[in-house]
Amino acid sequence: HQVLRVVPSSQEELQRLQELQGLEHLKLDFWLAPRGLGTPVDIRVPFPSLQPVKAHLEANGVSYSVMIEDVQELLDEEQREMTRSSRRLPLSTSAFNYRVYHTLDEIYAFMDMLVAENPDLVSKLEIGRSTENRPLYVLKFSTGGSNRPAVWIDTGIHSREWVTQASGLWFAKKIVEDHANNEGVASILDTMDIFLEIVTNPDGFAYTHSTNRMWRKTRSKHLGSICVGVDPNRNWDAGFGGSGASGNPCTETYHGPYPNSEPEVKSIVDFVKAHGNIKAFVSIHSYSQLLLYPYGYTTTPVPDQQELHELSAKAVAALSSLYGTDYKYGSIITTI
Amino acid sequence: IPDFGHKYYLQFSTEDYWTGENAGSCLATVLYPRKKSPPVVSIKCSHTKDQKEIQEEDNRLYQRIRQQTKPITGSNIPDSYGNIEPALEPAWALAVAGSSSIMWEKSTEDLGYFLAQVKSVKQWMRKDDFLEFDYTVLLHEMPTQEMISCHMRLTWLPGHPLREKHFCAPQKHRLEEGSGLGSGSATGLSEERGTNF
Repeated sequence: HQVLRVVPSSQEELQRLQELQGLEHLKLDFWLAPRGLGTPVDIRVPFPSLQPVKAHLEANGVSYSVMIEDVQELLDEEQREMTRSSRRLPLSTSAFNYRVYHTLDEIYAFMDMLVAENPDLVSKLEIGRSTENRPLYVLKFSTGGSNRPAVWIDTGIHSREWVTQASGLWFAKKIVEDHANNEGVASILDTMDIFLEIVTNPDGFAYTHSTNRMWRKTRSKHLGSICVGVDPNRNWDAGFGGSGASGNPCTETYHGPYPNSEPEVKSIVDFVKAHGNIKAFVSIHSYSQLLLYPYGYTTTPVPDQQELHELSAKAVAALSSLYGTDYKYGSIITTI
Repeated sequence: IPDFGHKYYLQFSTEDYWTGENAGSCLATVLYPRKKSPPVVSIKCSHTKDQKEIQEEDNRLYQRIRQQTKPITGSNIPDSYGNIEPALEPAWALAVAGSSSIMWEKSTEDLGYFLAQVKSVKQWMRKDDFLEFDYTVLLHEMPTQEMISCHMRLTWLPGHPLREKHFCAPQKHRLEEGSGLGSGSATGLSEERGTNF
């Protein structure tokens, strides 16, 4: 359907338009009916009537413009908008949609809901603030004890890797569910705590929503360069500045001016050091389907290379046993 | 190979881009000479589909595009959420084929690519039967992680090899290294590369 606009400039033109109103079989829908000279007349014309209507107007020298080329398109777009906004207000983590990507606000709201629903298991910690002063939140899953040995998991350190933040949300819910059903990771929670940072790079994440879907780094600014951001995963104090990282602020793998220059990274380092009892540190990225252990910057094997390798083999086999998902594994430097 | 370069022996299987069905397997050797010139490739593949089947699929794709009443235009394919509108699938398919040619040419022993997104596509109507498209594609470069923007002009008629001409934006890190001239040079604005394949 198209919507045509006519601005009648003479009595004859006005009459022609009024005539059209009487022709029922054309099934015209006047959004703005003919009123007087100079006032626009808007007509929604169904496809089969387009030809005759246009012909009628042209034959009588009535000029018209096409206001809306395709009404259906607009309706579809609106529908999409509505489905997008209708999920802005889930009232519980059970009503939350884990199958769509969410905004930063939605994820923060999720965290608060999860804590409110499971106050004896989940708490929210603020470990610092990002460059743009966004809070850096970590969810703590604990059944008690004092400073128990713990597992750390982070997602979203690279903001464009959207499937990782989405996975973090899902992990959070899964941990809670497993605990409730006494299966899966429930046994781990008997003796250990789990720390989960879902949006490890909130500034970058906000930027992927507002401006550039492909943004990877943080949003810190640096003297002497117009380029923004540091690759947080090159900012750690391990083999800093080595191969795989770049000293150029305009590149995607810029390591930053010095290790832990990024508050997003420093907060984690401070937290882990202060805790003193983190036993496993897992960082999630996309895309690829790889399970990797150190090192990425040297071929020298880690002291526990054999144990890590066997552990990876078991993890990958367990993963595959469910749906045949295929992951490769090994040290970063030999596998990537 | 001492004093010469590196030789790789590869065995791999291929799958249909849309369906994921097995499309055949290949044996290849790739020889990278020490100096930076394109590698020497020898490859042999077995196909699961026969010529006739392939031709029929090509014709179906071609007809699907020809039947559109307006020139195809679009942007951000897939969108930020990973979705591709069904109406834009044919344009996407041609982009995949065309950008594989760009990636083939740009890849080196240390640099690889994936097609990340079609930023924009615009169809140019022609008087003959050929299809013609203008694309801006984003290639994800590894291991640098850079997103390279390339402009690609593509023409195709079933039964003929896909032809494309492209120009990719100069790479930031090469500019920094100060070597002015080369394929990534900022002065090479009039430069165009392309292949028939």
